[in-house]
Amino acid sequence: MQASICPIVFILDTVLLQLKMNDSPIIKIRKLSKFYGDKQVLNELELDIYPGQVLGYIGPNGAGKSTTVKILTGLIPDFEGEVLVDGFNMAENPLAIKKLIGYVPENAEIYDVLSPMEYLDFIGKLYSMEDSVLHERAEKLLTAFGLQANLNDRMDTFSKGMKQKVLLSAGIIHNPKIIILDEPLSGLDANAVILVKELITRLANEGKTIFYCSHMMDIVEKVADRIILINKGSIVANGTFESLKQNHSDTLERIFSKLTGHEESGNEAEAIINAF
Amino acid sequence: MNKIFLRFVTFLNPLLKNTGVDTEQLYQILKVKLLMDERRPNTAFAARRNAKNNKPRNPVVVALFSVLMGCFIGMVLFIDAGPLIAQTLYFTIYMAFIGMTLISDFTNVLIDSKDQFILLPRPVNDRTIAMSRIFHISIYLLRLTLPLALPGIVMIGFIDGILAVPLFIGQLLLITFLAVFSVNMVYLLLMRAVSPQKFKDIISYFQIGFSILIFGTYYLVPRLINVKALAHNDILSHVWAYFLPPVWVAALNDLFFHAGRLSAITWLFGILGITIPIVGLWFVAKVLAPGFNKRLAVISTSDVSSKPVTNSKSTSKFNLIDAIGRIVSPEPIENAGFKITAKLTARTREFKMKVYPSFAYIPIYFIYFAMNTKGDDLSSKFEDLQNSHSYIFLIYMCSLILTTVASNITMSSKYKSAWVYYALPIDEPGKILLGMFKAMLVFYYLPYCFVIGLLIISIWGYHAINDMILAILVSTIYGMLSALFIIKGLPFSRPVSEKQGGGRVIISFLVLFFIGGIGYLHYLIMKWETAIWVAIIPFFIINWVMFHYYKKQTWENIELIEE
Repeated sequence: MQASICPIVFILDTVLLQLKMNDSPIIKIRKLSKFYGDKQVLNELELDIYPGQVLGYIGPNGAGKSTTVKILTGLIPDFEGEVLVDGFNMAENPLAIKKLIGYVPENAEIYDVLSPMEYLDFIGKLYSMEDSVLHERAEKLLTAFGLQANLNDRMDTFSKGMKQKVLLSAGIIHNPKIIILDEPLSGLDANAVILVKELITRLANEGKTIFYCSHMMDIVEKVADRIILINKGSIVANGTFESLKQNHSDTLERIFSKLTGHEESGNEAEAIINAF
Repeated sequence: MNKIFLRFVTFLNPLLKNTGVDTEQLYQILKVKLLMDERRPNTAFAARRNAKNNKPRNPVVVALFSVLMGCFIGMVLFIDAGPLIAQTLYFTIYMAFIGMTLISDFTNVLIDSKDQFILLPRPVNDRTIAMSRIFHISIYLLRLTLPLALPGIVMIGFIDGILAVPLFIGQLLLITFLAVFSVNMVYLLLMRAVSPQKFKDIISYFQIGFSILIFGTYYLVPRLINVKALAHNDILSHVWAYFLPPVWVAALNDLFFHAGRLSAITWLFGILGITIPIVGLWFVAKVLAPGFNKRLAVISTSDVSSKPVTNSKSTSKFNLIDAIGRIVSPEPIENAGFKITAKLTARTREFKMKVYPSFAYIPIYFIYFAMNTKGDDLSSKFEDLQNSHSYIFLIYMCSLILTTVASNITMSSKYKSAWVYYALPIDEPGKILLGMFKAMLVFYYLPYCFVIGLLIISIWGYHAINDMILAILVSTIYGMLSALFIIKGLPFSRPVSEKQGGGRVIISFLVLFFIGGIGYLHYLIMKWETAIWVAIIPFFIINWVMFHYYKKQTWENIELIEE
């Protein structure tokens, strides 16, 4: 933490954060490192996430965001350091952790020759859900997302936004404790964006922990109650939006560029103009 | 059909549960995978079929095709020859067929990187995933091999009696295990040795090789194999035969039914025939399968590490395409069309898969026709060939390259990227088309003709040169006419599944007849060498004029795709 300019705001802020931190952390990351060949993507990352928090996880391209998410979801099994989720150790018991997590991947991979109902049925069964609960919930979720007319159509004709809605449904169908969203709004129309933002707040109120990974600063600013900024595999800022504002700059966008070494973006634009 | 397989798997549940597999999850994964296989258009033989019928094939038709294929292979069993020969041949073909199909048709299913994002984040343990993969392959194989092997099973009953049938089924199982084992080895070695991107490329070359192999076998093997010579051959007198797995498996039949020709070596083979496949399968399941999954995980995550390599390459290397482009198509828009065509065709896997096999088809066709001439042995056939003027046929056949390239060049699964053409201020899209056409000539047709030309000169001598020039000029006209009337589209701008209109087929036949007529005239006058040289002049002018007008094509001439 850097020294605060206005101590009172900072203290208030910390108190607010503490209120949400009264439980023990649900996700505990200790000295997490990851190499691809000789390239270090994560550098001894340390992070505690508390139940009910909406964590905005931001950083420039190649900062290690996706790698963190892939490690948390068990996609990358070999890493250095320790990842504890709800008391389970990722290295020892990944299955127990996977049961707690709902994941909406960034790249929209989906078996698109299936219909949304077939897909959700499949995913739900993998979580050992009961048939009756599963079907009812799948139908309700898809209907709430406005896909009631397409429940049984194959998804290969779907638009990106429609597929994204199915992925969101698949991510929360088993009512997970932790929801990891990687750029969940891509392809969604304005109404769906509002819906998802509202949904995130409601889920957090219900005590779900949300790990929100995105490039869209304005949405992270509004949705997240704690922001983690990583750059080159290390955390460079960690706190509420208010506390970051106190220490750095007035918008998340500015904070972002200041901390990731692109303060001179004015110069870059200048250079682009000069290219003509 | 799927239900039967699934029920069979549930039948094994108690056993599977003991080994730590979640049987409910296994059932669900298999159910979805089989369902998806059914809905996915079949990629086997896709290289030979045009993209037209992209819809899933009827499984009954596929099965019938396999039965027919099985009959052909089964015929081999009747060869009345020395010990082991018939069965060795049968099992060799059978194993090659299964191995090749596994590689070409099933790779996409095996290396589905979607699994990484869909299955791995769910609470499914490794053993269940590995098991689901093994079952998926087995079911796929059963479906493939059952109709293929059926005729052989019936035939062996006639040859060696009803008792040979159960043994034969056992032998088939063993050889299938061997095929799976070998394919796994190939995969694993490749995955160790090369980058994931390269790996997919290599697999697609396998697929190309496979389609050429099938095509070549169909046309040439019946003409090349001399069954009489085979009959007097004792396979066991060749030491190399000792190392062929099909020999081991074939030895089992001799062990039980042809006691007369038994020897110590047959016993040894028989034992190898049983143990090696089983040990191999165990090795696959225990040792290779876990490593396989780990390597698969790398495929989907490796994009980070592979980036820096490509950067250094493109900056330092002299760019051949750019250099040729500057000479052939100096006009900027045309140059863009030229370069985009050259680069995309060289880098797009699906394009290569469809076009490269035709490079091999032409020589195969030609040899087929050449072999059909009278004459008893190969040398007299060759002499006949040299005296004939059939090389003219060979050069004209090269125009097949032009049409194959042209009919595939407009199609791409990523056709939507072609929006740039429509979004940019291009007044005459004909310029792009001309660039595309030139690229087709420079990178595909002419080099191919050059190679064929060398071959022709080495067989027939230098007097063929003028014929070649004329034929190339005529073929270019043909190519351009086809491009004008048949393929109207910018490079890589239309979906693969698109059907060709009926009217086009008629036009393409008309064009073909017209050019065929000119080719025939060429054949008639080819005795007079000077006449050919003279004929080159008007055809050159026609070419020049056509090139000039080809680039005047407007947007109205190009059919846009309706969404």
